[in-house]
Amino acid sequence: MTAMRYLRLALVVLATLMQPSMLGAHEASLGVLEFREVRPGAFIGRWTMEPSIGAGRIDLRVPPHCFLRLPEMNCGQKGLVGSITITNLGANMSAVLIKVIPIAGEPRSYTISTANPVVSVLGTGAPTLEAWIELAKTYVNYGIDHILLGADHLLFVLGLIWIVGGGWRLVKTITAFTIGHSASLAAAAFGLIGVPERPLNACIALSIAFVGVEIVKQQRGTMGITARYPWAVAFTFGLVHGIGFASALAGLGLERSLLPAALLFFNIGVEIGQLAFVLLVLALIWAHRRLDAVVPRWGEALPAYAIGSVSMFWFFGRLVRVFAAI
Amino acid sequence: MKLKFRRGWIAAALLLAQGGAAEAHIVAARLGDFYMGALHPFTDLQDVILWTATGVLAGSLGASRGRWLILVFPLGLLVGLPLGRIFGAASAGLADAAMMLAIGLMLAAATRIPTSALCAISFGLAVMRGAANGADLGPDTDRVLFAAGLACVGYTIITLTMALTVVFRGTESDGSAPWRTIAVRALGGWIAAIGLMMASIVLAS
Repeated sequence: MTAMRYLRLALVVLATLMQPSMLGAHEASLGVLEFREVRPGAFIGRWTMEPSIGAGRIDLRVPPHCFLRLPEMNCGQKGLVGSITITNLGANMSAVLIKVIPIAGEPRSYTISTANPVVSVLGTGAPTLEAWIELAKTYVNYGIDHILLGADHLLFVLGLIWIVGGGWRLVKTITAFTIGHSASLAAAAFGLIGVPERPLNACIALSIAFVGVEIVKQQRGTMGITARYPWAVAFTFGLVHGIGFASALAGLGLERSLLPAALLFFNIGVEIGQLAFVLLVLALIWAHRRLDAVVPRWGEALPAYAIGSVSMFWFFGRLVRVFAAI
Repeated sequence: MKLKFRRGWIAAALLLAQGGAAEAHIVAARLGDFYMGALHPFTDLQDVILWTATGVLAGSLGASRGRWLILVFPLGLLVGLPLGRIFGAASAGLADAAMMLAIGLMLAAATRIPTSALCAISFGLAVMRGAANGADLGPDTDRVLFAAGLACVGYTIITLTMALTVVFRGTESDGSAPWRTIAVRALGGWIAAIGLMMASIVLAS
């Protein structure tokens, strides 16, 4: 390794250490608030997972007939039925799970997110059609948000498109990625596998660096493993990214009976976002070809190095967070 | 019937002249400032019309002339954004209207402007609209993310519009139907008419 390479590495590490706060941007900021019914219509509320911005800063609005002053909430004879919302969700606070534990009947969970800021509490009893629609709306939107805000996942998909190009090979590769992340997302969500979030995020960053290296190899005329077996690489790393998707759901602490449906809707949302991104990239590739606007030969390697640099920046930053947590 | 049409035109022109961008800030709450930057231009019809008109103009001049805009246009938006913060929105209604009128007339007349002129017009327009987009940002907006989103959407719209126009028009050698050229020129006439109406309203108010 030359001195210049050491210098570059040192600069990357230095930049990473200086700006670790920027790197947590993709980690979900969640809170869980539990309301336990102590007598008909009267609840005791407590934060079982306090949000990172502080419980006191959450502006929770309950149905008008309910009187809320945490830890107490009194809804009278009518009970806890109606709309619950949080008015100040945003970049620092993406979702809050409200768990309602009635005296009689099954506990219910409602997710208030930036995508779905108002939820309707429908009382006790079997889930109604409205409850299913609300669940679908919440989790499809949450899935779309998660993939659109997940620059690391999108960068990995971009790298795959770059290597594979278009046509059936791309369809197979993206399908393999989808199968991979869906399988591990389900396994992680049901508790069959468990990986700590921080090291996993570092691995996700490394997977993007791997794709960056594969692009450079391809440009140098060497057939890397991704160029030869793109679907296998996409499936393998899809498993890693899927566990990352699951971490977004895990913190919500959904009740087990609703988990399969929530998982399905969340995955549908992720696929919608991913498909939109793939179609946009393909449209831009098509447009560049039509305009004959291709990257000059001297700049061909730039995108690969950009992908590699960004991913290594993330990797070192996430590694710092892993060690900081120990 | 004519009166109805006239009312419709006046309503549309008023909408164009007074379209606000405040609705875009809702996006920030959900998806952050990058997507706010990317969606901000879609809340202002002046952006939508001017950007599309520029893409169509560049595409109608052919791929070899137009492709420079892939870099020039987003660069102009990035230059305009901080200027908007410093000087406020440089883009008054009259300037937007004049730009629409000029680009529309060039399209309608099928003017073959040189590449340098096309780049200069596009850069000027992008600076103007970048300033307009950056003028009303809140103090808590992450300007780097907003600028990245704005530049990305500028690149995407210009590139796709140019490519679609190039494909639509075809080449002279492949014997494309002459109606396609007429359609592009007619579109230019419409853009010029919108610009003229906007200018009239701005001058009258």
